[in-house]
Amino acid sequence: MAGIQKPAKRHSAKRIVIYNHKGGVGKTTLTINLAFALASIGKNVLLVDSDPQCNITSYLIDDITLDDLLDHSDADEGKTIWSSVKPLIEATGDVKTIEPIQQGQRLFLLPGDIRLSEFEADLNKFWTECLERRMRGFRGVCGLSILVNQVSEAHDIDYVFYDCGPNIGPLNKVILLDSDCFIVPAACDLFSVRALKTLGHTLAGWIKSWDTIVNQAPDGIYLLPGRPKFLGYIPQRFRVYREEPSSTYRPFYSKIERNVNSEILSIFKKEDSSLASRSIRDLRIGEVKDFGPLATAGQSEGRPMWEVSKGSPDQRDAARRSFLDIANTIIRFAENHMSD
Amino acid sequence: MSKAKLSKREHGQIERIVDYYLNGECQELVRRCELQVKALFSTSDDLAQYVHSTKSRIKGRERLRDKLIRNAIDCKQSGQQFDITENNLFERITDLVGYRILHLHTKQIEAINSIVLSLLQSERWVVIEGPIARTWDDEFRDYFQEIGIETLDNKRMYTSVHYIFKANEQARCACELQIRTLAEELWGEVDHKINYPHKSESLSCREQIKVLARVTSSCSRLVDSIFHSYEESRRIRRRS
Repeated sequence: MAGIQKPAKRHSAKRIVIYNHKGGVGKTTLTINLAFALASIGKNVLLVDSDPQCNITSYLIDDITLDDLLDHSDADEGKTIWSSVKPLIEATGDVKTIEPIQQGQRLFLLPGDIRLSEFEADLNKFWTECLERRMRGFRGVCGLSILVNQVSEAHDIDYVFYDCGPNIGPLNKVILLDSDCFIVPAACDLFSVRALKTLGHTLAGWIKSWDTIVNQAPDGIYLLPGRPKFLGYIPQRFRVYREEPSSTYRPFYSKIERNVNSEILSIFKKEDSSLASRSIRDLRIGEVKDFGPLATAGQSEGRPMWEVSKGSPDQRDAARRSFLDIANTIIRFAENHMSD
Repeated sequence: MSKAKLSKREHGQIERIVDYYLNGECQELVRRCELQVKALFSTSDDLAQYVHSTKSRIKGRERLRDKLIRNAIDCKQSGQQFDITENNLFERITDLVGYRILHLHTKQIEAINSIVLSLLQSERWVVIEGPIARTWDDEFRDYFQEIGIETLDNKRMYTSVHYIFKANEQARCACELQIRTLAEELWGEVDHKINYPHKSESLSCREQIKVLARVTSSCSRLVDSIFHSYEESRRIRRRS
Protein backbone atom coordinates (compact mmCIF):
# COMPACT_ATOMS: atom_id res chain seq x y z
CA MET A 1 0.00 0.00 0.00
CA ALA A 2 2.93 2.31 -0.63
CA GLY A 3 1.17 4.64 -3.06
CA ILE A 4 -1.01 6.40 -0.57
CA GLN A 5 1.00 5.83 2.59
CA LYS A 6 4.20 7.36 1.27
CA PRO A 7 2.81 9.91 -1.13
CA ALA A 8 4.80 11.16 -4.05
CA LYS A 9 4.64 14.90 -4.40
CA ARG A 10 1.95 15.90 -6.85
CA HIS A 11 3.67 16.16 -10.22
CA SER A 12 3.79 19.63 -11.75
CA ALA A 13 1.77 18.65 -14.87
CA LYS A 14 -1.37 20.80 -15.09
CA ARG A 15 -4.49 18.67 -15.07
CA ILE A 16 -7.37 19.97 -17.13
CA VAL A 17 -10.86 18.68 -17.68
CA ILE A 18 -13.27 19.80 -20.34
CA TYR A 19 -16.53 19.24 -18.62
CA ASN A 20 -20.22 19.60 -19.13
CA HIS A 21 -22.71 17.03 -17.87
CA LYS A 22 -24.79 17.71 -20.98
CA GLY A 23 -23.81 15.31 -23.75
CA GLY A 24 -23.17 16.18 -27.36
CA VAL A 25 -21.41 19.45 -26.68
CA GLY A 26 -18.21 18.30 -28.34
CA LYS A 27 -16.17 17.48 -25.23
CA THR A 28 -14.14 14.71 -26.81
CA THR A 29 -13.45 16.53 -30.09
CA LEU A 30 -12.37 19.59 -28.17
CA THR A 31 -10.23 17.62 -25.72
CA ILE A 32 -8.36 15.68 -28.36
CA ASN A 33 -7.74 18.61 -30.67
CA LEU A 34 -6.51 20.76 -27.78
CA ALA A 35 -4.17 17.94 -26.79
CA PHE A 36 -2.85 17.77 -30.38
CA ALA A 37 -2.47 21.56 -30.42
CA LEU A 38 -0.47 21.65 -27.18
CA ALA A 39 1.71 18.77 -28.38
CA SER A 40 2.34 20.63 -31.63
CA ILE A 41 3.79 23.57 -29.70
CA GLY A 42 6.21 21.40 -27.78
CA LYS A 43 4.27 20.36 -24.69
CA ASN A 44 4.12 16.78 -23.46
CA VAL A 45 0.47 15.89 -23.15
CA LEU A 46 -1.24 12.97 -21.45
CA LEU A 47 -4.79 12.10 -22.45
CA VAL A 48 -6.65 10.14 -19.80
CA ASP A 49 -9.65 8.34 -21.22
CA SER A 50 -11.69 8.25 -18.06
CA ASP A 51 -14.98 7.89 -19.92
CA PRO A 52 -16.25 4.28 -19.88
CA GLN A 53 -17.48 4.94 -23.44
CA CYS A 54 -13.81 5.01 -24.55
CA ASN A 55 -14.44 7.66 -27.22
CA ILE A 56 -10.97 9.16 -27.08
CA THR A 57 -9.31 5.76 -27.15
CA SER A 58 -11.27 4.70 -30.22
CA TYR A 59 -10.46 8.08 -31.79
CA LEU A 60 -6.73 7.45 -31.43
CA ILE A 61 -6.25 3.74 -31.92
CA ASP A 62 -7.62 1.35 -34.47
CA ASP A 63 -10.42 -1.08 -33.73
CA ILE A 64 -8.30 -4.23 -33.79
CA THR A 65 -5.77 -2.87 -31.30
CA LEU A 66 -8.58 -1.53 -29.12
CA ASP A 67 -10.39 -4.86 -29.18
CA ASP A 68 -7.21 -6.59 -28.14
CA LEU A 69 -6.62 -4.08 -25.31
CA LEU A 70 -10.12 -4.58 -23.94
CA ASP A 71 -9.89 -8.38 -24.29
CA HIS A 72 -6.83 -8.44 -22.07
CA SER A 73 -7.56 -5.59 -19.68
CA ASP A 74 -8.60 -7.95 -16.90
CA ALA A 75 -5.38 -9.96 -17.02
CA ASP A 76 -2.18 -9.21 -15.13
CA GLU A 77 -0.60 -7.72 -18.22
CA GLY A 78 -3.67 -5.49 -18.87
CA LYS A 79 -2.92 -2.00 -20.13
CA THR A 80 -6.11 0.01 -19.71
CA ILE A 81 -7.09 2.27 -16.81
CA TRP A 82 -9.29 -0.59 -15.60
CA SER A 83 -6.23 -2.85 -15.39
CA SER A 84 -4.63 -0.20 -13.20
CA VAL A 85 -7.48 0.42 -10.77
CA LYS A 86 -8.58 -3.22 -10.47
CA PRO A 87 -6.43 -3.94 -7.37
CA LEU A 88 -8.33 -1.16 -5.57
CA ILE A 89 -11.67 -2.81 -6.22
CA GLU A 90 -10.40 -6.22 -5.26
CA ALA A 91 -8.67 -4.69 -2.21
CA THR A 92 -5.42 -6.40 -3.15
CA GLY A 93 -3.27 -3.27 -3.31
CA ASP A 94 -2.78 0.18 -4.76
CA VAL A 95 -3.15 1.17 -8.40
CA LYS A 96 -0.95 -0.76 -10.79
CA THR A 97 1.33 1.37 -12.95
CA ILE A 98 0.59 1.00 -16.66
CA GLU A 99 2.49 2.31 -19.66
CA PRO A 100 0.60 4.89 -21.71
CA ILE A 101 0.31 4.43 -25.47
CA GLN A 102 2.46 6.97 -27.23
CA GLN A 103 1.04 8.83 -30.25
CA GLY A 104 3.72 10.80 -32.04
CA GLN A 105 6.49 12.42 -30.07
CA ARG A 106 4.60 14.22 -27.37
CA LEU A 107 1.15 12.74 -26.99
CA PHE A 108 0.42 9.90 -24.58
CA LEU A 109 -2.81 8.05 -23.95
CA LEU A 110 -4.03 6.14 -20.92
CA PRO A 111 -6.62 3.95 -22.65
CA GLY A 112 -10.18 3.81 -21.40
CA ASP A 113 -12.19 0.70 -20.71
CA ILE A 114 -15.86 -0.11 -20.71
CA ARG A 115 -15.25 -1.78 -17.33
CA LEU A 116 -14.51 1.61 -15.79
CA SER A 117 -18.24 1.68 -15.11
CA GLU A 118 -17.55 -1.02 -12.50
CA PHE A 119 -14.91 1.20 -10.94
CA GLU A 120 -17.47 3.98 -10.98
CA ALA A 121 -19.90 1.86 -8.98
CA ASP A 122 -17.17 1.20 -6.41
CA LEU A 123 -16.28 4.86 -6.23
CA ASN A 124 -19.60 5.52 -4.50
CA LYS A 125 -18.55 3.07 -1.79
CA PHE A 126 -15.03 4.60 -1.60
CA TRP A 127 -16.55 8.06 -1.23
CA THR A 128 -18.71 6.86 1.68
CA GLU A 129 -15.60 5.33 3.24
CA CYS A 130 -13.84 8.69 2.92
CA LEU A 131 -16.73 10.27 4.81
CA GLU A 132 -16.10 7.55 7.41
CA ARG A 133 -12.40 8.43 7.25
CA ARG A 134 -11.32 4.93 6.20
CA MET A 135 -7.92 4.55 4.52
CA ARG A 136 -9.49 2.18 2.00
CA GLY A 137 -11.80 4.97 0.85
CA PHE A 138 -8.92 7.41 0.32
CA ARG A 139 -7.00 4.77 -1.64
CA GLY A 140 -9.98 4.26 -3.94
CA VAL A 141 -10.94 7.89 -4.44
CA CYS A 142 -7.33 8.97 -5.08
CA GLY A 143 -6.39 5.90 -7.18
CA LEU A 144 -6.84 7.42 -10.63
CA SER A 145 -5.00 10.56 -9.53
CA ILE A 146 -2.07 8.49 -8.25
CA LEU A 147 -1.88 6.66 -11.60
CA VAL A 148 -1.85 10.00 -13.47
CA ASN A 149 0.84 11.22 -11.11
CA GLN A 150 3.05 8.20 -11.77
CA VAL A 151 2.66 8.45 -15.56
CA SER A 152 3.23 12.23 -15.53
CA GLU A 153 6.42 11.69 -13.57
CA ALA A 154 7.67 8.93 -15.86
CA HIS A 155 7.03 10.84 -19.10
CA ASP A 156 7.72 14.40 -18.01
CA ILE A 157 4.17 15.46 -18.81
CA ASP A 158 3.26 19.17 -19.00
CA TYR A 159 -0.50 18.92 -19.49
CA VAL A 160 -3.00 16.22 -18.59
CA PHE A 161 -6.46 16.14 -20.16
CA TYR A 162 -9.17 14.01 -18.63
CA ASP A 163 -11.96 13.00 -20.97
CA CYS A 164 -15.17 12.21 -19.18
CA GLY A 165 -18.71 11.10 -19.83
CA PRO A 166 -21.70 13.45 -19.80
CA ASN A 167 -22.96 12.91 -16.27
CA ILE A 168 -22.53 13.97 -12.66
CA GLY A 169 -21.45 10.52 -11.46
CA PRO A 170 -18.74 9.71 -8.92
CA LEU A 171 -16.02 9.19 -11.55
CA ASN A 172 -16.47 12.72 -12.84
CA LYS A 173 -16.57 13.97 -9.27
CA VAL A 174 -13.08 12.61 -8.50
CA ILE A 175 -11.77 13.82 -11.89
CA LEU A 176 -13.02 17.36 -11.27
CA LEU A 177 -11.56 17.32 -7.76
CA ASP A 178 -8.23 16.15 -9.16
CA SER A 179 -8.14 18.79 -11.91
CA ASP A 180 -6.29 22.06 -11.57
CA CYS A 181 -8.83 23.73 -13.81
CA PHE A 182 -11.90 23.03 -15.91
CA ILE A 183 -13.25 24.36 -19.16
CA VAL A 184 -16.94 24.28 -20.01
CA PRO A 185 -17.88 23.59 -23.61
CA ALA A 186 -21.35 24.85 -24.40
CA ALA A 187 -23.25 24.04 -27.54
CA CYS A 188 -25.60 26.62 -28.95
CA ASP A 189 -28.84 24.87 -28.15
CA LEU A 190 -31.56 25.14 -25.57
CA PHE A 191 -30.56 22.14 -23.44
CA SER A 192 -26.93 23.06 -23.36
CA VAL A 193 -27.79 26.51 -22.08
CA ARG A 194 -30.12 25.01 -19.48
CA ALA A 195 -27.49 22.51 -18.34
CA LEU A 196 -25.23 25.36 -17.27
CA LYS A 197 -27.78 26.19 -14.58
CA THR A 198 -27.02 23.06 -12.57
CA LEU A 199 -23.32 22.81 -13.36
CA GLY A 200 -22.03 25.48 -10.97
CA HIS A 201 -24.04 24.19 -8.02
CA THR A 202 -22.97 20.61 -8.65
CA LEU A 203 -19.27 21.49 -8.80
CA ALA A 204 -19.44 23.78 -5.77
CA GLY A 205 -21.20 20.98 -3.85
CA TRP A 206 -18.41 18.52 -4.73
CA ILE A 207 -15.72 20.97 -3.63
CA LYS A 208 -17.46 21.62 -0.33
CA SER A 209 -18.06 17.94 0.36
CA TRP A 210 -14.42 17.02 -0.35
CA ASP A 211 -13.29 19.89 1.85
CA THR A 212 -15.10 18.43 4.86
CA ILE A 213 -13.52 15.04 4.10
CA VAL A 214 -10.04 16.61 3.89
CA ASN A 215 -10.49 18.38 7.24
CA GLN A 216 -10.75 14.98 8.91
CA ALA A 217 -8.33 13.10 6.64
CA PRO A 218 -5.23 11.40 8.05
CA ASP A 219 -2.00 13.41 7.96
CA GLY A 220 0.55 12.75 5.25
CA ILE A 221 -1.51 10.79 2.73
CA TYR A 222 -2.02 11.50 -0.97
CA LEU A 223 -5.17 13.56 -1.45
CA LEU A 224 -7.00 15.14 -4.36
CA PRO A 225 -6.38 18.91 -4.32
CA GLY A 226 -10.12 19.59 -4.64
CA ARG A 227 -9.63 23.11 -5.99
CA PRO A 228 -10.53 23.16 -9.70
CA LYS A 229 -10.28 26.68 -11.09
CA PHE A 230 -12.74 27.90 -13.66
CA LEU A 231 -10.61 28.57 -16.72
CA GLY A 232 -13.41 29.50 -19.08
CA TYR A 233 -16.04 28.36 -21.53
CA ILE A 234 -16.07 27.63 -25.23
CA PRO A 235 -19.15 28.10 -27.39
CA GLN A 236 -19.24 25.31 -29.94
CA ARG A 237 -20.53 24.37 -33.33
CA PHE A 238 -22.19 27.49 -34.51
CA ARG A 239 -22.31 28.36 -38.18
CA VAL A 240 -20.76 31.67 -39.15
CA TYR A 241 -21.76 34.37 -41.53
CA ARG A 242 -19.26 37.19 -42.13
CA GLU A 243 -17.21 36.28 -39.05
CA GLU A 244 -20.16 36.72 -36.69
CA PRO A 245 -22.22 33.91 -35.28
CA SER A 246 -25.21 33.53 -37.55
CA SER A 247 -28.57 34.79 -36.42
CA THR A 248 -29.88 31.34 -35.41
CA TYR A 249 -27.09 30.99 -32.90
CA ARG A 250 -26.76 34.59 -31.74
CA PRO A 251 -29.44 34.45 -29.03
CA PHE A 252 -27.79 31.36 -27.53
CA TYR A 253 -24.46 33.06 -27.55
CA SER A 254 -25.55 35.76 -25.12
CA LYS A 255 -27.64 33.30 -23.10
CA ILE A 256 -24.56 31.11 -22.62
CA GLU A 257 -22.58 34.09 -21.40
CA ARG A 258 -25.38 35.14 -19.05
CA ASN A 259 -25.70 31.66 -17.56
CA VAL A 260 -21.96 31.14 -17.24
CA ASN A 261 -21.84 34.40 -15.32
CA SER A 262 -24.76 33.77 -13.01
CA GLU A 263 -24.60 29.98 -12.62
CA ILE A 264 -20.90 29.21 -12.53
CA LEU A 265 -18.80 32.32 -12.06
CA SER A 266 -20.87 33.96 -9.32
CA ILE A 267 -21.33 30.66 -7.44
CA PHE A 268 -17.59 29.98 -7.52
CA LYS A 269 -16.81 33.57 -6.51
CA LYS A 270 -19.11 33.19 -3.52
CA GLU A 271 -17.60 29.85 -2.42
CA ASP A 272 -13.95 30.70 -3.00
CA SER A 273 -12.90 33.68 -5.09
CA SER A 274 -9.50 32.11 -5.85
CA LEU A 275 -11.29 29.50 -7.97
CA ALA A 276 -12.82 32.15 -10.23
CA SER A 277 -10.28 34.91 -10.55
CA ARG A 278 -11.09 35.99 -14.09
CA SER A 279 -13.85 38.32 -15.21
CA ILE A 280 -16.66 37.14 -17.47
CA ARG A 281 -15.08 39.03 -20.39
CA ASP A 282 -11.95 36.88 -20.23
CA LEU A 283 -13.78 33.63 -19.72
CA ARG A 284 -14.77 33.04 -23.32
CA ILE A 285 -11.43 31.48 -24.14
CA GLY A 286 -12.18 30.63 -27.73
CA GLU A 287 -14.80 29.51 -30.17
CA VAL A 288 -15.10 26.28 -31.99
CA LYS A 289 -17.04 26.77 -35.15
CA ASP A 290 -18.76 24.12 -37.17
CA PHE A 291 -15.86 22.81 -39.17
CA GLY A 292 -18.14 20.59 -41.20
CA PRO A 293 -16.38 17.50 -42.53
CA LEU A 294 -13.19 18.06 -40.50
CA ALA A 295 -14.59 16.75 -37.22
CA THR A 296 -15.77 13.42 -38.56
CA ALA A 297 -12.65 13.03 -40.70
CA GLY A 298 -10.48 13.67 -37.64
CA GLN A 299 -12.29 10.93 -35.81
CA SER A 300 -12.00 8.35 -38.56
CA GLU A 301 -8.39 9.21 -39.38
CA GLY A 302 -7.26 9.60 -35.75
CA ARG A 303 -5.68 12.97 -36.46
CA PRO A 304 -6.13 16.59 -35.49
CA MET A 305 -8.78 18.37 -37.56
CA TRP A 306 -6.14 20.42 -39.39
CA GLU A 307 -4.31 17.35 -40.65
CA VAL A 308 -7.20 15.42 -42.17
CA SER A 309 -7.66 14.56 -45.83
CA LYS A 310 -11.09 16.24 -46.03
CA GLY A 311 -12.20 19.88 -46.24
CA SER A 312 -10.45 22.84 -47.82
CA PRO A 313 -6.98 24.16 -46.83
CA ASP A 314 -8.72 27.31 -45.55
CA GLN A 315 -11.02 25.27 -43.33
CA ARG A 316 -8.12 23.25 -41.98
CA ASP A 317 -6.09 26.37 -41.31
CA ALA A 318 -9.03 28.01 -39.53
CA ALA A 319 -9.39 24.91 -37.37
CA ARG A 320 -5.70 24.90 -36.54
CA ARG A 321 -5.72 28.58 -35.57
CA SER A 322 -8.84 28.09 -33.51
CA PHE A 323 -7.34 25.30 -31.38
CA LEU A 324 -3.90 26.90 -31.16
CA ASP A 325 -5.50 30.08 -29.81
CA ILE A 326 -7.21 28.11 -27.05
CA ALA A 327 -4.02 26.12 -26.38
CA ASN A 328 -2.09 29.36 -25.92
CA THR A 329 -4.76 30.72 -23.60
CA ILE A 330 -4.43 27.55 -21.52
CA ILE A 331 -0.66 27.97 -21.36
CA ARG A 332 -1.01 31.60 -20.26
CA PHE A 333 -3.58 30.63 -17.65
CA ALA A 334 -1.35 27.84 -16.38
CA GLU A 335 1.57 30.23 -16.04
CA ASN A 336 -0.40 32.99 -14.34
CA HIS A 337 -3.02 31.21 -12.28
CA MET A 338 -1.80 27.70 -11.63
CA SER A 339 1.71 28.31 -10.34
CA ASP A 340 2.70 25.93 -7.56
CA MET B 1 -18.53 21.26 51.48
CA SER B 2 -19.61 24.79 50.66
CA LYS B 3 -20.36 25.26 47.02
CA ALA B 4 -19.08 28.30 45.17
CA LYS B 5 -21.78 30.24 43.34
CA LEU B 6 -21.20 31.32 39.77
CA SER B 7 -21.67 34.94 38.80
CA LYS B 8 -24.12 36.14 36.17
CA ARG B 9 -21.19 36.83 33.88
CA GLU B 10 -19.87 33.26 34.25
CA HIS B 11 -23.33 31.82 33.57
CA GLY B 12 -23.53 34.08 30.51
CA GLN B 13 -20.18 32.79 29.28
CA ILE B 14 -21.31 29.18 29.71
CA GLU B 15 -24.55 29.83 27.80
CA ARG B 16 -22.59 31.40 24.94
CA ILE B 17 -20.36 28.32 24.73
CA VAL B 18 -23.39 26.00 24.75
CA ASP B 19 -25.13 28.05 22.01
CA TYR B 20 -21.98 27.98 19.94
CA TYR B 21 -21.69 24.22 20.35
CA LEU B 22 -25.28 23.79 19.19
CA ASN B 23 -24.77 25.70 15.94
CA GLY B 24 -25.02 23.81 12.67
CA GLU B 25 -21.33 23.72 11.88
CA CYS B 26 -20.24 22.36 15.29
CA GLN B 27 -23.02 19.80 15.33
CA GLU B 28 -22.10 18.64 11.84
CA LEU B 29 -18.50 18.23 12.97
CA VAL B 30 -19.32 16.15 16.05
CA ARG B 31 -21.78 14.03 14.07
CA ARG B 32 -19.12 13.39 11.44
CA CYS B 33 -16.58 12.42 14.12
CA GLU B 34 -19.07 10.07 15.76
CA LEU B 35 -19.71 8.39 12.41
CA GLN B 36 -15.97 8.01 11.82
CA VAL B 37 -15.25 6.56 15.26
CA LYS B 38 -18.13 4.10 14.85
CA ALA B 39 -16.77 3.06 11.46
CA LEU B 40 -13.31 2.61 12.98
CA PHE B 41 -14.33 0.19 15.71
CA SER B 42 -17.41 -1.48 14.29
CA THR B 43 -15.77 -2.93 11.18
CA SER B 44 -13.06 -4.93 12.95
CA ASP B 45 -13.75 -8.66 13.19
CA ASP B 46 -10.73 -9.05 15.48
CA LEU B 47 -12.24 -6.65 17.97
CA ALA B 48 -15.74 -8.11 17.68
CA GLN B 49 -14.70 -11.41 19.30
CA TYR B 50 -13.88 -9.60 22.57
CA VAL B 51 -16.65 -7.04 22.57
CA HIS B 52 -19.94 -7.57 24.36
CA SER B 53 -21.52 -4.34 23.14
CA THR B 54 -20.68 -0.78 22.17
CA LYS B 55 -22.22 2.63 22.67
CA SER B 56 -21.55 5.91 20.99
CA ARG B 57 -22.85 9.33 21.85
CA ILE B 58 -22.44 13.01 21.16
CA LYS B 59 -22.48 15.20 24.21
CA GLY B 60 -25.88 16.87 24.45
CA ARG B 61 -26.74 20.40 25.51
CA GLU B 62 -27.51 19.63 29.17
CA ARG B 63 -24.49 17.39 29.69
CA LEU B 64 -22.19 20.04 28.23
CA ARG B 65 -23.75 22.79 30.33
CA ASP B 66 -23.37 20.64 33.49
CA LYS B 67 -19.77 19.87 32.68
CA LEU B 68 -18.95 23.54 32.11
CA ILE B 69 -20.71 24.54 35.34
CA ARG B 70 -18.79 21.90 37.30
CA ASN B 71 -15.55 23.04 35.71
CA ALA B 72 -16.30 26.71 36.51
CA ILE B 73 -17.16 25.84 40.13
CA ASP B 74 -13.96 23.78 40.49
CA CYS B 75 -11.98 26.72 39.13
CA LYS B 76 -13.63 29.11 41.56
CA GLN B 77 -12.99 26.83 44.53
CA SER B 78 -9.34 26.44 43.66
CA GLY B 79 -8.92 30.15 42.94
CA GLN B 80 -8.34 29.70 39.23
CA GLN B 81 -9.79 31.53 36.25
CA PHE B 82 -12.50 29.68 34.30
CA ASP B 83 -10.98 30.03 30.85
CA ILE B 84 -13.04 27.85 28.50
CA THR B 85 -14.42 29.89 25.59
CA GLU B 86 -16.06 29.27 22.22
CA ASN B 87 -12.58 29.34 20.71
CA ASN B 88 -11.02 26.62 22.81
CA LEU B 89 -14.11 24.48 23.54
CA PHE B 90 -13.05 21.64 21.23
CA GLU B 91 -9.52 21.74 22.57
CA ARG B 92 -10.52 21.70 26.22
CA ILE B 93 -13.50 19.35 26.24
CA THR B 94 -12.23 16.15 24.72
CA ASP B 95 -15.27 13.95 25.22
CA LEU B 96 -17.77 15.77 22.99
CA VAL B 97 -17.69 12.57 20.95
CA GLY B 98 -17.55 9.41 23.01
CA TYR B 99 -17.43 5.73 22.21
CA ARG B 100 -17.58 2.93 24.73
CA ILE B 101 -16.61 -0.71 24.41
CA LEU B 102 -18.03 -3.10 26.99
CA HIS B 103 -16.52 -6.51 27.60
CA LEU B 104 -16.96 -9.38 30.04
CA HIS B 105 -13.83 -9.77 32.11
CA THR B 106 -10.81 -7.64 32.99
CA LYS B 107 -8.11 -9.71 31.33
CA GLN B 108 -9.63 -9.27 27.89
CA ILE B 109 -8.27 -5.72 27.97
CA GLU B 110 -4.80 -6.89 26.93
CA ALA B 111 -6.06 -8.17 23.56
CA ILE B 112 -8.59 -5.35 23.14
CA ASN B 113 -5.94 -2.70 23.82
CA SER B 114 -3.58 -4.18 21.27
CA ILE B 115 -6.33 -4.32 18.60
CA VAL B 116 -7.48 -0.77 19.40
CA LEU B 117 -3.93 0.58 19.13
CA SER B 118 -3.31 -1.20 15.85
CA LEU B 119 -6.60 0.10 14.40
CA LEU B 120 -5.72 3.64 15.45
CA GLN B 121 -2.31 3.20 13.86
CA SER B 122 -3.38 1.59 10.59
CA GLU B 123 -6.15 4.14 10.09
CA ARG B 124 -3.70 6.87 11.11
CA TRP B 125 -5.49 8.55 13.98
CA VAL B 126 -3.43 10.86 16.17
CA VAL B 127 -3.46 9.51 19.72
CA ILE B 128 -3.37 12.40 22.17
CA GLU B 129 -3.74 10.45 25.37
CA GLY B 130 -3.91 6.87 26.50
CA PRO B 131 -4.26 4.13 27.06
CA ILE B 132 -4.73 5.19 30.65
CA ALA B 133 -6.51 2.97 33.16
CA ARG B 134 -8.37 4.79 35.89
CA THR B 135 -8.84 2.49 38.83
CA TRP B 136 -9.08 2.46 42.58
CA ASP B 137 -8.52 -1.28 42.97
CA ASP B 138 -4.93 -2.23 43.88
CA GLU B 139 -5.03 -5.65 42.24
CA PHE B 140 -6.38 -4.29 38.95
CA ARG B 141 -3.79 -1.48 39.08
CA ASP B 142 -0.96 -4.04 39.25
CA TYR B 143 -2.48 -5.98 36.37
CA PHE B 144 -2.78 -2.92 34.07
CA GLN B 145 0.81 -1.92 34.84
CA GLU B 146 1.97 -5.46 34.13
CA ILE B 147 0.48 -5.33 30.61
CA GLY B 148 1.94 -1.88 29.97
CA ILE B 149 -1.10 0.31 30.51
CA GLU B 150 -0.43 3.46 32.49
CA THR B 151 -2.68 3.85 35.55
CA LEU B 152 -4.28 6.77 37.34
CA ASP B 153 -5.80 6.65 40.81
CA ASN B 154 -9.48 7.22 40.62
CA LYS B 155 -11.39 8.74 43.49
CA ARG B 156 -14.59 8.06 41.60
CA MET B 157 -14.44 4.33 42.38
CA TYR B 158 -14.66 2.81 38.93
CA THR B 159 -12.23 1.05 36.62
CA SER B 160 -12.04 2.06 32.99
CA VAL B 161 -9.43 2.41 30.25
CA HIS B 162 -9.42 5.69 28.28
CA TYR B 163 -7.99 6.92 25.01
CA ILE B 164 -8.25 10.34 23.39
CA PHE B 165 -7.47 10.73 19.71
CA LYS B 166 -8.21 12.92 16.73
CA ALA B 167 -8.34 12.69 12.96
CA ASN B 168 -5.15 14.65 12.27
CA GLU B 169 -2.89 17.22 13.96
CA GLN B 170 -5.06 20.11 12.79
CA ALA B 171 -8.42 18.46 13.46
CA ARG B 172 -10.60 20.45 15.86
CA CYS B 173 -12.61 17.71 17.48
CA ALA B 174 -11.13 14.99 19.68
CA CYS B 175 -12.87 11.70 20.42
CA GLU B 176 -12.79 9.67 23.60
CA LEU B 177 -12.85 5.91 23.82
CA GLN B 178 -13.65 4.17 27.10
CA ILE B 179 -13.29 0.45 27.64
CA ARG B 180 -14.76 -1.19 30.70
CA THR B 181 -16.33 -4.42 31.90
CA LEU B 182 -20.09 -4.94 31.97
CA ALA B 183 -20.01 -4.88 35.78
CA GLU B 184 -18.26 -1.49 35.74
CA GLU B 185 -20.88 -0.23 33.33
CA LEU B 186 -23.60 -1.09 35.83
CA TRP B 187 -21.86 0.94 38.52
CA GLY B 188 -21.24 3.80 36.11
CA GLU B 189 -24.88 3.97 35.03
CA VAL B 190 -26.22 3.92 38.59
CA ASP B 191 -23.71 6.53 39.72
CA HIS B 192 -24.61 8.74 36.79
CA LYS B 193 -28.33 8.62 37.53
CA ILE B 194 -27.84 9.36 41.22
CA ASN B 195 -24.96 11.80 41.23
CA TYR B 196 -25.25 13.80 37.98
CA PRO B 197 -25.29 16.65 37.47
CA HIS B 198 -25.36 17.15 41.22
CA LYS B 199 -24.25 14.78 43.92
CA SER B 200 -27.21 13.09 45.57
CA GLU B 201 -28.23 14.72 48.83
CA SER B 202 -29.23 11.38 50.26
CA LEU B 203 -26.51 10.08 52.55
CA SER B 204 -27.69 6.49 52.20
CA CYS B 205 -27.62 6.74 48.39
CA ARG B 206 -24.05 8.04 48.53
CA GLU B 207 -23.12 5.27 50.95
CA GLN B 208 -24.74 2.55 48.90
CA ILE B 209 -23.01 3.72 45.73
CA LYS B 210 -19.67 3.20 47.49
CA VAL B 211 -20.68 -0.26 48.55
CA LEU B 212 -21.88 -0.98 45.01
CA ALA B 213 -18.38 0.00 43.79
CA ARG B 214 -16.92 -2.72 46.01
CA VAL B 215 -19.49 -5.25 44.82
CA THR B 216 -18.75 -4.23 41.22
CA SER B 217 -15.04 -4.71 41.68
CA SER B 218 -15.67 -8.10 43.27
CA CYS B 219 -18.08 -8.99 40.50
CA SER B 220 -15.49 -8.18 37.79
CA ARG B 221 -12.95 -10.14 39.82
CA LEU B 222 -15.32 -13.10 40.12
CA VAL B 223 -15.98 -13.12 36.37
CA ASP B 224 -12.20 -13.05 35.84
CA SER B 225 -11.80 -15.99 38.13
CA ILE B 226 -14.60 -17.97 36.46
CA PHE B 227 -13.02 -17.46 33.04
CA HIS B 228 -9.60 -18.29 34.42
CA SER B 229 -10.95 -21.58 35.82
CA TYR B 230 -12.84 -22.27 32.60
CA GLU B 231 -9.71 -21.76 30.45
CA GLU B 232 -7.65 -23.90 32.79
CA SER B 233 -10.12 -26.78 32.73
CA ARG B 234 -10.10 -26.66 28.90
CA ARG B 235 -6.31 -26.73 28.88
CA ILE B 236 -6.23 -29.74 31.18
CA ARG B 237 -8.81 -31.55 29.07
CA ARG B 238 -6.83 -30.87 25.89
CA ARG B 239 -3.68 -32.15 27.50
CA SER B 240 -5.31 -35.40 28.61
